[in-house]
Amino acid sequence: MNLMANILLNVTIAFLVGSILLGFQRKVMARIQMRPGPPIIQHLLHTFKFFLKESAFPKTAAMPFYIAITAMLCVIWVAAVIVGPVTEGSLLLFFAIYAIHKIVEHNAGSSSGSPYGKLSCVRAVFSAAAEVPLFAVLIIIYLKTGTMILSSIVTYQNQHGALLLSIPLAALMFFVLILSKSPYSPFSITKGKDIVSGYETEHLRGYLMFSESISWYMLLWIFLTVFIGGLNPVGYLIGMVIITAFVAFINALTPILNPNHSVMTQVTLAFIGIVGSVILLLY
Amino acid sequence: MDISILGGPILGIIPLGDIVLYFTPFNLFMFAAALAFTALIAISSTESQVEAEFGTLKNREVKVDKAEFKLRRFLAIVCGLATAGAMVTGDLFDFTLFVTLIGIVNIGIVAAVKEIDVLDAAFQYGLIAMIGTLPLFGGAALILASTGTISLLQIVQIPYTTSLMLFGSILFFLGVAGETGVAPFFATKAEMFRTPGSPFLLIIHLSSLLIIVRTIEILLIINKPF
Repeated sequence: MNLMANILLNVTIAFLVGSILLGFQRKVMARIQMRPGPPIIQHLLHTFKFFLKESAFPKTAAMPFYIAITAMLCVIWVAAVIVGPVTEGSLLLFFAIYAIHKIVEHNAGSSSGSPYGKLSCVRAVFSAAAEVPLFAVLIIIYLKTGTMILSSIVTYQNQHGALLLSIPLAALMFFVLILSKSPYSPFSITKGKDIVSGYETEHLRGYLMFSESISWYMLLWIFLTVFIGGLNPVGYLIGMVIITAFVAFINALTPILNPNHSVMTQVTLAFIGIVGSVILLLY
Repeated sequence: MDISILGGPILGIIPLGDIVLYFTPFNLFMFAAALAFTALIAISSTESQVEAEFGTLKNREVKVDKAEFKLRRFLAIVCGLATAGAMVTGDLFDFTLFVTLIGIVNIGIVAAVKEIDVLDAAFQYGLIAMIGTLPLFGGAALILASTGTISLLQIVQIPYTTSLMLFGSILFFLGVAGETGVAPFFATKAEMFRTPGSPFLLIIHLSSLLIIVRTIEILLIINKPF
């Protein structure tokens, strides 16, 4: 298939599937909390709605940085789709994409001039200190398989079995990272309701929701590819639905932690994951 | 093992005497991201921070004055260019120089703010950055002593990892952590972000995270898998 067509197709799939999965998550959470909940396509409808609404920019914002930062968020997650399903490139590149995602999250908060956005920005700096070590458990995969290339990791798993079984703590750490990025998560301190959803309040929501859908799809895709490997499209879809439902259960039953507890919990889990995985690899 | 395993295939190299810059998709992406953010910073105005006033229902706008704006913008651009350079250099000593330059200009970006709390945070970060210089250069020197080279393209071809290489790597990582002010040294740095001047603060966070990601690549090049 033509490369450009392949990219367009995969980005469209990532956006649509990601949106539906996020809608599904809200539905599951609502049912657990004895509410009927919104339709599953609600997240998708919201995204389209925000693209059609009039845009307003605060007079205190840092222009044109304020506008460019949302476009940057879209670009980096489209790049993630190119590195992942399209070319099956290096995991290290995903790590770089995730690091830039944290930078964008931080600066989306600080660029508006809003005190709520600023608090979101400071919390993003705190959470980066916890989430980046969690993402760094991908290094464990390199130490185990000797490669960072996704296609080679899948081949390794075809020969030696799923990495989920051989390095379960690394898989657990990555799951905590996925949990952190889900809406209404106990670790979602940057978008907490106590700070009026943080940086999401003023920014161009259509672009943010578009990026949120793709990022959710990509995080699940990486988890399934790296820790289970060799799945067909139906297998990916089933895996994504199961993980999303599981995350919805946790989010529905857990309040948002305060920033200190959130960061310390993540750092502790990252420490246990990295040290435990290295011990498992040595023995 | 080949260096192309980590960041993807090598797309090209630029030999500048002893210093060789190399480009893989990974390095190129981070290089482009650093330059894109630097360009954005260069053309952007600063935010006006809105704060609540005690005792009244009014808000107070905190703005960055022109002299401070010019100084901080200049330092932010230097920091962005140093970060971009650190993303593509294939020379370990060159990388350490870029990291120390980033540490210095990061202090400058925040030290230009005339607020006591922010200056305190910048002072503490400065102390950590200065202390971090010793393990940073010490680690690089130990890696040179144990491998005989500071070229990453040469180090990647060494099939084994000695304990001195591992010790040097640990020191090197500690030095980078201190210079960039990441965990466990991040506490004072987060205070620095409360100050107004959005696009300039971006480069502090950007440089830290990109340097850490690049450091992980370098450490994986030096230390081979099990």
